[in-house]
Amino acid sequence: MAEVSIEKLTKSYDGTTKVLDGVDLHINQGELVFMLGPSGCGKSTLLRILAGLVNADSGTISFDGKNIMSLPPEKRRAAMVFQNYALWPHLTVFENVAFGLRMEKHSKNEIRTRVMESLEQVRMERFAQGAVTRLSGGQQQRVALARALAVDPALLLLDEPLSNLDANLRDTMRREIKRICTERKLTALYVTHDRREALSMADRAGVMHKGKISQIGTPDEIYNHPADGFTARFLGDVNRLKDGGIRPERIKISESGGKLRATLLERAFFGDSCEWLFEVPGTGKVLVRELAAPQRELGKEYFLDYEPEFLIPVPESGDEE
Amino acid sequence: MNTHLFFRYLLLAAVLLFLGVFLLLPIGTVVGVGCDWQLIAEIFRNRIYLEGLWNSFAIAVCTTGIVFILSLILALLYDRCDFPGKNLSSTALLIPMVLPPFVGALGFKQILGYHGVINALLGHLGLAPIDFLGGSGQFWAICVIEALHLFPICYLNLVTALGNIDPAMNEAAANLGASPWQRFLRIRLPLMRSGILAGCSITLIWSFTELGTPLMFGFTRTTAVQIFNGLTELESNPIPYALVVIMLVVSAALYLTAKLALRSTPAATSGKGMVNSGAQKLSGWKKFLPGGVFGLVTLLAGLPHLALIFCAFSTRYSGTVFPENFTLENFDLALSNVLVLPSIANSLKYSFLAMLIACFTGLLVSLAAVRWRLKGSGIADLLAMLPLAVPGVVFAFGFLGMAVKFTWASTIFDPVNNPVWLLSIAYAVRRIPYVVRAVSSGLEQTPEELENAARNFGASSFKTLCRITLPLVTANLIVGGLFAFSFSMLEVSDSLILAQKQEFFPITRALFELSQILGFGTGAACAFGVWAMFFLGGTLCAGALLLGKKIGAVFKF
Repeated sequence: MAEVSIEKLTKSYDGTTKVLDGVDLHINQGELVFMLGPSGCGKSTLLRILAGLVNADSGTISFDGKNIMSLPPEKRRAAMVFQNYALWPHLTVFENVAFGLRMEKHSKNEIRTRVMESLEQVRMERFAQGAVTRLSGGQQQRVALARALAVDPALLLLDEPLSNLDANLRDTMRREIKRICTERKLTALYVTHDRREALSMADRAGVMHKGKISQIGTPDEIYNHPADGFTARFLGDVNRLKDGGIRPERIKISESGGKLRATLLERAFFGDSCEWLFEVPGTGKVLVRELAAPQRELGKEYFLDYEPEFLIPVPESGDEE
Repeated sequence: MNTHLFFRYLLLAAVLLFLGVFLLLPIGTVVGVGCDWQLIAEIFRNRIYLEGLWNSFAIAVCTTGIVFILSLILALLYDRCDFPGKNLSSTALLIPMVLPPFVGALGFKQILGYHGVINALLGHLGLAPIDFLGGSGQFWAICVIEALHLFPICYLNLVTALGNIDPAMNEAAANLGASPWQRFLRIRLPLMRSGILAGCSITLIWSFTELGTPLMFGFTRTTAVQIFNGLTELESNPIPYALVVIMLVVSAALYLTAKLALRSTPAATSGKGMVNSGAQKLSGWKKFLPGGVFGLVTLLAGLPHLALIFCAFSTRYSGTVFPENFTLENFDLALSNVLVLPSIANSLKYSFLAMLIACFTGLLVSLAAVRWRLKGSGIADLLAMLPLAVPGVVFAFGFLGMAVKFTWASTIFDPVNNPVWLLSIAYAVRRIPYVVRAVSSGLEQTPEELENAARNFGASSFKTLCRITLPLVTANLIVGGLFAFSFSMLEVSDSLILAQKQEFFPITRALFELSQILGFGTGAACAFGVWAMFFLGGTLCAGALLLGKKIGAVFKF
């Protein structure tokens, strides 16, 4: 496992729009770093540049202090879990996982041991001799992960690995990946547009916007203290108040008193939570989220209250998704 | 530039050089000699040549007309109806393609000739015999036999085009009140334009330049046959060169027109969510109707070859419906003929070499254009497709001209003393489009991410090519190769024009010579034809089994 350092990375495909615009990023050894962002923000390009599949225009990447920019993809040891898994359909599960080890010319016995170890880690050892084309999406995803784990990479790259799975499976796999990364102390960069994935799994997470990393920090830091309106909006809902932005779960509803008077317009019940939409005169609509769902009367006036310390930057109109 | 990129450009340069020398140079040579305004003016003054041109054109138009109607009906039946034996009947339709029309002509004569099967039937009914192949009968016989050979190509294109139309488009029209007939005219027909254009233009060019069939029928007034017949006195009369140029111009114009029309065709495809094909399940007696139509067409297309088989196994088959005896005598005769065995060996040799050359070149062109996306690969791709627009006769003449004109070419490319490389390369060049089509479609269907993944897991670009890319397109390459091989075995124009000495005759040339021998010749030629037919049928079946439905991709534009 390596310590990864990225400095002033830039990339443009057409010569005018910068997909990456001076990206700096440091990943400590054994750290799981997430890169979040809407589609087109450059996060996938960043991964592909790290893997050597795309050439950067300028900047440096070093693994453990060694500059790897001139190395071809096959020499980088930055194993990737591709978004569509990219399992080779003409090879068995075993051969898919063994591929990287064969390229490194390990002995037969060692290949066998390491492939089976990796498959056990993702609980796919039973399928070793099967065809990858017969596997379900979740199983393919596990094999793709095992393939990357088997080569013991310096850096593990994950490109939206869960985006093709259904919601339930995604939750399971999220825990699995987190467990494996922690157990094996993997240095990993995980790219996604799903904030729940990032906030729940990351040691640190960054938000990318227009080719730049707008903020990076622990999930708690970036969610509760976003550096700008875009980051605030990308990580969750933000209400626009006169004195700043505030997250819906930070507002308290009361009948007796508070900072704002508001009329209740709508109620949406989600089972585990409930959302209330209010109209605040002079401010506009305000969303409030609560864990409980008590009876309240639509059209009636309530008071809304919040602590000023929870105020965050307000997104600009262009920052809306 | 890093080394493997340099190596790729080196390969591309080699391919471009090969295509330049063996594709552009022959065409250039023909044009150089034939583009003589006096010669061309002479053609337009000479009634015999004008008639030849007119006949060729008329054959092309009539053949294409028959092909279009036939394949449209069949394609619509296939697309709109579900019936028992659907896949089997659709596959059986491809049989005519493996039966060379040149050989089929022999059988066709047996059926429609004055002493043929139909007249024998008429005789049984007490009616007077009709001279089907006299007068304009010969013309129509040529059109029908070419159409029966070529319609599968058009059919495959139409079926693909229909299959690509999003059923929702049709449903939307129905929803807005269009009747089935209106939907066909205003929705399906316009949306399948690309398939129609592709299928029809291939048929048009193919039948315009066809040499074998009219030659077998003794229909001498077509341009291709006139060119062939002018070969013997080429030195004193260079008119054939000018005829070749005219043929080239017409074919290229047809091809370009179709290509341009294709560019403006809207895409009606919707990749996702196409679950319901919209095919109707027929019930009762109706469900056997489509299958019956398919069977009938297949039977019709196969009939000449059935007659050929009868001819081959009989020595007394004249003026009767069925042969009067069955014997293997013809096969004995064919095998003992000095022409036959060496010609099989020759054809195998030429076709095998041609297959290797076509596969290697085609694979490189596809890789350069689809995967490596090298600068200049577009030109290579365009050049590789050129043979679709250029008649075989043009190439044959070009190679002939090259051997005369360039000393380097006359030593390796000697049509008299050693035509092995000449024929192999001539065969190969015209088969490259099939290989390129087959391999390119395979590459396009293989996500590039699979190769990226291999690089990511430590494989060099060469190893990735060997262990990932090539294995994934092997089936396509094999099919491209099989087609290259089989079509080389069937090749007529190069074989008739470039193989000049008996010891170098390939199968088709030997067949032609045999059929010209009076007496036992026809029977022996039939026997030989039957053998060739089964050999090729087997090869193509193997290809079809390998690729399944994807076989249609090879015949696309």
